[in-house]
Amino acid sequence: MTTSRDDATVFTRLFDQHRHAVHAYFLGRVADPELARDLVQETFLRAWRRLPEVGPLPDERQRAWIFTVARNLAIDSYRAGAARQAAEAALRRDAATLETTVAGPHAHAELGERLAQLDAAIRDLPEEQRVILSMATAGGLTSRQIGQALGEPAGTVRYRLSQARKQLAAALDLEDGA
Amino acid sequence: MTSPARHDLDQLLAAWAQPRRLPDAEAERIRQAIVPVVPTLEATWWSEFNSKISTAIARATATPVPALAALQ
Repeated sequence: MTTSRDDATVFTRLFDQHRHAVHAYFLGRVADPELARDLVQETFLRAWRRLPEVGPLPDERQRAWIFTVARNLAIDSYRAGAARQAAEAALRRDAATLETTVAGPHAHAELGERLAQLDAAIRDLPEEQRVILSMATAGGLTSRQIGQALGEPAGTVRYRLSQARKQLAAALDLEDGA
Repeated sequence: MTSPARHDLDQLLAAWAQPRRLPDAEAERIRQAIVPVVPTLEATWWSEFNSKISTAIARATATPVPALAALQ
């Protein structure tokens, strides 16, 4: 593929528009940050190779195209066992990581503890809820955008998000304001 | 002061999500790994190119020294 500055500009716009959402999706699916980044790179590499087709699409159809690729990559990754092994490894090292990266100084110890509880509760969510929650919080997507990305009605996304929040609130003994 | 334990679910989720976002530096590394470097032209390339062309034309159309000598 011959690269022009126009191609690079179109790709950079597409990448900036969707990178957080794609990354949040993979975090929800595979748990392991390194594997999630590898899968983000592979997703956008495929978009780059098909840029003449994907670049001109409007945002909604671009998102649908990108997430079709992302879903297939996540499935392939699961089949290869990489995602499962990575998720198990992430679970094993989770407690120690949270202790060092989140808790920090004594003043934040209580918040760190709550975040560790929240993280454990998120990992216990059904995958379909965990992915949606990750896309909504880490990816900053609306229910409508998540629905477009996953091929689900926005109402279904809202329902699953609501179920996830209820389960988290119960696990953390909080009132869910949603 | 509000105790951290009283953070509501939205605040806790925001705090959970923040370190999980793809850092800009990491995103740029990924982008650069995908997009080949596009060669860029110097801002002065056009004037330098014109200058080289003008010089080449002037040399090509100048009367050769032996011809000038023969005329004298």
